Amino acid sequence: MSITLRGVTKQFGEFAAVDDVNLDIPSGALLALLGPSGCGKTTLLRIIAGLETPESGQVLFDGRDATSWPIRDRKVGFVFQNYALFRHMTVFENIAFGLKVKARRERPPAAAIRRKVQSLLELVQLDWAGERYPAQLSGGQKQRVALARALAVDPEVLLLDEPFGALDAQVRHELRRWLRRLHTELHFTSIFVTHDQQEAIEVADTIVVLNRGRIEQTGIPGEVYDLPRSAYVHRFLGQVNELRVEWREGRAYLGPVDISSDPALQPGAGLVALIRPHEIDVVDESAGWRATVRDVRVIGPIVRLELGAEGRPPSEPLEAEISRERFDIGRFHVGQNVGVRFRRWQIYPADAVLVSDAAA
Amino acid sequence: MEVPAIAAAYEVPVSRSLRRRDPRQGTRWGRFVLIGVALAFLAAFVLLPLLVVFAQAFSKGIGVYLAALSEPSAWSAIKLTLTVAAIAVPMNLLFGVVSAWAITKFQFRGKSALVTLIDLPFAVSPVIAGLTYILLFGARGWFGPYLQAHDIRVVFAVPGIVLATIFVTFPFVARELIPVMQAQGKHDEETALSLGAGGWQVFWHVTLPNIRWGLLYGVLLCNARAMGEFGAVSVVSGHIRGLTNTMPLHVEILYNEYNYAAAFAVASLLAFLALLTLAGKSLLEWRQPELKHGTRRARADLEK
Repeated sequence: MSITLRGVTKQFGEFAAVDDVNLDIPSGALLALLGPSGCGKTTLLRIIAGLETPESGQVLFDGRDATSWPIRDRKVGFVFQNYALFRHMTVFENIAFGLKVKARRERPPAAAIRRKVQSLLELVQLDWAGERYPAQLSGGQKQRVALARALAVDPEVLLLDEPFGALDAQVRHELRRWLRRLHTELHFTSIFVTHDQQEAIEVADTIVVLNRGRIEQTGIPGEVYDLPRSAYVHRFLGQVNELRVEWREGRAYLGPVDISSDPALQPGAGLVALIRPHEIDVVDESAGWRATVRDVRVIGPIVRLELGAEGRPPSEPLEAEISRERFDIGRFHVGQNVGVRFRRWQIYPADAVLVSDAAA
Repeated sequence: MEVPAIAAAYEVPVSRSLRRRDPRQGTRWGRFVLIGVALAFLAAFVLLPLLVVFAQAFSKGIGVYLAALSEPSAWSAIKLTLTVAAIAVPMNLLFGVVSAWAITKFQFRGKSALVTLIDLPFAVSPVIAGLTYILLFGARGWFGPYLQAHDIRVVFAVPGIVLATIFVTFPFVARELIPVMQAQGKHDEETALSLGAGGWQVFWHVTLPNIRWGLLYGVLLCNARAMGEFGAVSVVSGHIRGLTNTMPLHVEILYNEYNYAAAFAVASLLAFLALLTLAGKSLLEWRQPELKHGTRRARADLEK
C-alpha cells in the first residue's frame, strides 16, 4: 500500500510536533523516519497509524483519503518500542489475538488460527516459545513476538516505533538484518522511527530526516549521508568536525588551508565548514596543517586520531578516521607531530549550524 | 596438621564479616525502639479495642449473643447493610472504572477538576454529605415537593441510605485504579486497536486483565467502608427500627439503650466483616505477584 502525506500538521498546545509534512511513500518501501528526540518522528508515525489525528492535512492510503479512518480499518501493524505484549497471555495467545477478535463471520476457524500462529512462530524463529509468557522472554524475543503479532492480521503497512532501541548491540544488529530479510520476503510497506543514523542507513531504502516537525531531507541512505542538503542533516548523520571559515585579504581559509576556490563561498557571510573524520588525511608534518596527535583509538578496521591543530583551541581537537593499513604505515603515536589535509568539506552559513545545535 | 590451620584462617574473616553490622540497618537500639513503639501503639489503639468488642459481645454468654443477632430489628439491620453494600459497591465499581479509564486514556478539558472532585468525599465530613442529601431530597428540599407529589421517599428511606453510601465510598475504586492505569500507559490498548479489536474487546481482553488486582483491592476497600459508614447514613436514615437502620446505626441505638451485650454483639459481627475484608485484602496482596499470569510457571520453568 502506498502512503501519501499532504500538509500534515499536528499541534500540542503551542508546540507544532509535525509541521506541514508532505511525503510520498511508495508501496513496498522500507523507510526510516530519522531525527533526534522531539523532532516529531513518533507523532508522524502515530498519525499514519491513526493513533493521532492531525489538525490539518491529509493521509492517503493508495490514493484514498484515510485521515479519519479508525485505526482498526487501516490495515497497519504497529510495533511499540516497549513491545506492549499482553502480559497475561501466552506468546501463542498474543499472536492469535488479532485473529480471535475478528467478527464471527470473518474469523478463521480455530484450526486455521492455530496453523497461522504456528507458521508465524516459525517465521520469527520462536516455535518453541508458544506456551511461554512474555515475562519469560528476552528483549529480542519479545520484539519478534510483537512483530509476529502485528503480522498475524496481514497488514499492508508495518509501523515500528524505535524497534531496536531497547536491545543490546549484538541483538540489534541481528534483528536489523532479520527485519530487512522479512521485508524483502513479505513485500509490505514498512516505516520505522529511529534516532540512530546508523540504524537508518543499515536498514532503510529511504531515509527521511526530520527537524522540528519538518522534513529536512529525503533520500536513499548514501545520498543523505554524502550530499546532505543542510548543516543539520550533515551533523545528524555521523560525526563532523566544525571549522569556521576565516577571511584574510580577500581569501578564505580553514586554519592555514586556502579554500578560496570553493564555489559555495559567499564573501562576507559567517560560514562554517563541516568535515567528516574520514575526510581528513593525516600526512607528514611538512605536508599539511601542523598538528599533534593527542589520542589514538584503534577500532577494528579503522583508527580514530584526536589531533590538536596549530592555532586551534585545545578544547576543539580535530577528529580523523584513517584505515588500519594507513595507520600501520604511518605508525602514529601520541605526541607525534603530523600534518592534516582535508579531502572534502562542505560550507554552510554559520547560524544554520547554531540552529541545529539548539535543536539537537 | 596443616589443613585445620588453613580452615581456621579462613573461618576468622567469615565470622567477623557476619558480625559486622549492615550499614543500612542503623543501631540495634534504634531499630528495637522504633519497632517497639509501632507495635505498642498498634496494640493499644487497634488490637485492644478489637478484643474488647469481642469480649463484651460474649460477656453474657453465647446464648445472649445469638439472641441479639437473631432479634428481628438486628436481623433487618444486617440485611439492610448487606443490601446497601450490594448496590453501592457495584455502582462505584462502574463509576471508578469509567472515570479512571477516562482520566488515564484520554485528554480532555476539566480533567484535573474531575480528579479533584473524585477526592471530594474524602475531604468533606460525611455528616455534611448526609445533610446535602436532606437539603436536596428532604420534605423542604429542592426536589422535596416533586418527590412528595409522586410519593417517592428518598430521605429517611433506603434510597437515601444508598445515595449517601455511594457518595462516601466513591473515591475508593477510582483512586486505586488511576495510578495503576497511569503506570501501564496506553500502548497495550493501542496495540489491541491496531490488531482490529473493538472498544469493548480492548477493555475485556486487555485492560481488565491488566488492572484486575488493583480493581479487586479498590472494591474490597469500598465494601469495607460501605458496610461501616455511620455519619452520612445516620443523617439521612431517620433511624427507623427494622426499616432504615443499618448495622452501625443499630449498634448506636442499642448502646444508647444501655443494652451493651447486644450492641457489642452486632458490633462484633461488623468487626468480623471488616476483618474478613482485611483478610481478603492481605490474601490478594500475598497472591498478587504469583497470580500475575505466568510468573509462577515462569519460575517453575527457570528452576528446571
